[in-house]
Amino acid sequence: MIKQLVPANLKEALEMLSKHNCYIMSGGTDLMVQKHVSTGLLPSFDKDVIYVMNLKELDYVKKDDNGNIRIGAATRFTDIERSPLVPEIYKIVIKEIASNNIRNMATMAGNIANASPAGDSLVPLVLNDASVILSSVNGNREVLVRDFVLGVRKIDRKQNEMITEIVLKPQELNYFYRKVGARKAESITKVSLMGGYKIENGIIKDLRIAFGSVSIKVVRSLENENKYIGQKVKELNIDSVIEDYSPLVTPITDQRSNKEYRHKVAMNLLRKFLEEVKGGRNE
Amino acid sequence: MLPNYKTSVKKVDNEEKMSGMAIFTGDIRMDNAHFAIPVRSTVSYGKLLKINVPSLPKGYYFISAKDIVKENVCNIIASDWPVFPDKEVHYKGETIGLIVGPDKKICIDLASMTHADYKELEPVFEMKNSYVHKEFKKGNPEVFKKASKVYSESFETGYQEQVYLEPQGMLIWMDGNKITIKASMQCPFYIKKAVTRTLGCSEDKVRVIQPAVGGAFGGKEHYPSLMAAQLATAIVKIKKPIKMIFDRKEDITFTTKRHPSKTDISAYLDDKNNILGVKIHVGIDGGAYIGCSMVVLARALIAATNAYTFENVDISGDAYCTNKVPSAAFRGFGSPQSIFAIEMFINHLADFLHVNHYELRNKYLVKTGDITSTNGVFRDPIILDKLINRAMEMSDYQRKKKEYSKPNSYRGIGMSYFLHGCGFTGSGESTIINAQLRIKKDKNDIVTFYTSQVDFGQGNRTTLKRIVVDTLGIPEDHVIYGAPDTDETLSTGPTAASRTIIIVGGLAAKAARHLKEIWKDGEEQEIIEPYVGPSYIKWDDDTMQGDAYPGYAWGVNVIEISVDPITYEVTIEGCWSTYDVGHAIDERILIGQADGGLAQAIGWAYLEKEEMENGVFKQRTLSDYVIPTMMDLSKMETEFIDNPFPYGAFGAKGAGELTFAGGAPAFCAALEQAINRKVNKIPATPEFIMELIEHGN
Repeated sequence: MIKQLVPANLKEALEMLSKHNCYIMSGGTDLMVQKHVSTGLLPSFDKDVIYVMNLKELDYVKKDDNGNIRIGAATRFTDIERSPLVPEIYKIVIKEIASNNIRNMATMAGNIANASPAGDSLVPLVLNDASVILSSVNGNREVLVRDFVLGVRKIDRKQNEMITEIVLKPQELNYFYRKVGARKAESITKVSLMGGYKIENGIIKDLRIAFGSVSIKVVRSLENENKYIGQKVKELNIDSVIEDYSPLVTPITDQRSNKEYRHKVAMNLLRKFLEEVKGGRNE
Repeated sequence: MLPNYKTSVKKVDNEEKMSGMAIFTGDIRMDNAHFAIPVRSTVSYGKLLKINVPSLPKGYYFISAKDIVKENVCNIIASDWPVFPDKEVHYKGETIGLIVGPDKKICIDLASMTHADYKELEPVFEMKNSYVHKEFKKGNPEVFKKASKVYSESFETGYQEQVYLEPQGMLIWMDGNKITIKASMQCPFYIKKAVTRTLGCSEDKVRVIQPAVGGAFGGKEHYPSLMAAQLATAIVKIKKPIKMIFDRKEDITFTTKRHPSKTDISAYLDDKNNILGVKIHVGIDGGAYIGCSMVVLARALIAATNAYTFENVDISGDAYCTNKVPSAAFRGFGSPQSIFAIEMFINHLADFLHVNHYELRNKYLVKTGDITSTNGVFRDPIILDKLINRAMEMSDYQRKKKEYSKPNSYRGIGMSYFLHGCGFTGSGESTIINAQLRIKKDKNDIVTFYTSQVDFGQGNRTTLKRIVVDTLGIPEDHVIYGAPDTDETLSTGPTAASRTIIIVGGLAAKAARHLKEIWKDGEEQEIIEPYVGPSYIKWDDDTMQGDAYPGYAWGVNVIEISVDPITYEVTIEGCWSTYDVGHAIDERILIGQADGGLAQAIGWAYLEKEEMENGVFKQRTLSDYVIPTMMDLSKMETEFIDNPFPYGAFGAKGAGELTFAGGAPAFCAALEQAINRKVNKIPATPEFIMELIEHGN
């Protein structure tokens, strides 16, 4: 018999998780669709479900002593987007996720845990070295989002753990972001690119590139980035950067687009971003 | 003097729909209602050897071909679609039976445990086996042999899903010994006929009542007949109320779509580059059963020369049988496919001849009194030149066309001309439908009139009532006009073919006039008004010769777009339209039709992609099959130019389908300018635009 678990507080939730193998439901905007059976019928879950959307203690956005922004796992996208503490780049991304009514329910923690290759919030989280806090009755651990997502719907979560917090580390970067979906609103991403850079005295101090929807997880290469950092920006060779990334961008053909388009547009966006870097905005 | 209808009235269904009070089929609760869950074929083509049904709990049933009462035929024009297949299945997803029972979840589980054994046969997915062929000629196509040049091209259009707000659904129950049906539908009498035919029962044993209906676009013209025949077969055995409501995914995957098409056009030119004539072949993909495909094909062929007169014409077409979900009615009924082809072709021909698009098009533009491609006559005044000039003025077409022709502008503007024949093809209104409209008055001088027209959002409950109110000159609350109930109304025909206002509206006005003539205060009076078509309309369906429609509505669309050279995404920058729908009865309702039709056509042109893979659609949800949102469209400027039609109510013609016809060619003409490539295929998705830019034509 499937159990529906409704904890009164976080402590109770973690105790329940230590005893049951659960789906963790917050906004439900992914799970309810994935487990849908038919109109008028309950969704079909094959294991217990724990409902964490009402855990008030996980509904917050705050700044810690290190200047990091900490977002509780039950905080809705709409509230994150409206918080004055959240860096602008995240807001730009959130505004293009799904629709208003979905953003009123969905959480960023859920978007991370769903680990879809098309998960939009993963792109800024990976680019900006954000991490998640996983909690269990045994304590907390912090994992970088880029390490937490292992593959399509695969995450580094133990059965007794849940995401309780997201830690954003504000960066001093100039950003470029472009999401390409099938239409201008309420669309699932076919390909996206986020770039971040910092240039001082003509020298690249930081250069980061992350692609969404073109591989099983967000594509970011620290190895490539480290090659460019320290270079004179006017010596940065756009074609060779594109050559570096071309083999890492490995999209598929599915019902939403095809691999040729996704690859080509990813490279076009990269070129556009690099041209902007070389144009030296905010040098 | 025609009334001035610039001021619009409040739609009668506004309040119930905006407040959420309207009761749709799925909202109706009924004690002891059972659920019907389809068991579907898992092969595209095969012999049906045996259906293995799990042991059913008490009160659960499996209904299939063996339960057919009289005739295993679903009455959809060609009548080749069985209620349940008994020997062969012809497409993946065909309903081979229904599990019926009181608990929906148990029904779903039982349906998933029901498997058939098939002997699989080689399915056909390409358009190669014709099941309907039609052809006709005008003038002397022999002159083609004297042509000094021939210019030929092919054009393709894809599937389109209707995406009505409310998916298909039906509720059936026994009221005494009478089968009663409420359903999301367009044509109550089609459903009634489908039931009486499969059961072999008399007409008084079946009643069809319309609840609130949330959109249709042609998708609820024929498919509900199949659902009704299946549920009627079940209820005869079970005698309990049965509900069958499709989920969105099921609806997208297994109900009828717009016919994909491939059109080949050749223009034969003399040594001075005059067009001697054109040869056109239109192929449409009908899917597994013919259903209404021969009528769709006929409309596609009649519209193939669109708004142009060519002296010599050779037109032919085929509907092809494929092992895919059947194609059926969808706004435009075949004509948008062939209009897309000729509109693109004539521009390409102009490029080939190094002449201006606009000049070449206008040289062959149809004029009042011209002979149609089927050797009928365009009798009523044609004001296409006014529509074109006004649309060009509104959009600043000439200046923009020139400006955007600079290289790498990634911006373009395109224009289309189009027509729509209103009502059933040829003399069908008098020979097939024979609409009769009942209007009565009680002792308190309250007038009630009845039609079988369904208001699925387009506004005909408001407009038809207004026609009667204004004709009688009595207060609005003295006229009662409700949703159709086949026990109350005579058949005024289906809600289809842009016939509601031009035909039924005309009939309602006539009935009201006759009532007014014999009006006696305080007396009960009743009139049954039969439809009488224009006597000059003569049509031969076998030879496709004569006057194809009682009247024609006309339009011009101008669309401006830009293309992002980095992502190949399109932005609609502007839409301008002019229409001749006769005399506009209610401008606001017409704007709804005009701008909605154009939005749907633009979606078909570049967004809505429905791909087949091994006989099933790849896009099965509304996140994968995307239709335009408000954000994807621009402001639309739309004008109606008055040109009253003598046979319509207050001079009105049809408007519902017309507004779909020009969106795709205007969009693609703009796209061609923006990317400097020819576009011969829709949907022109960003993936396809990339291919065109990268690899050329």
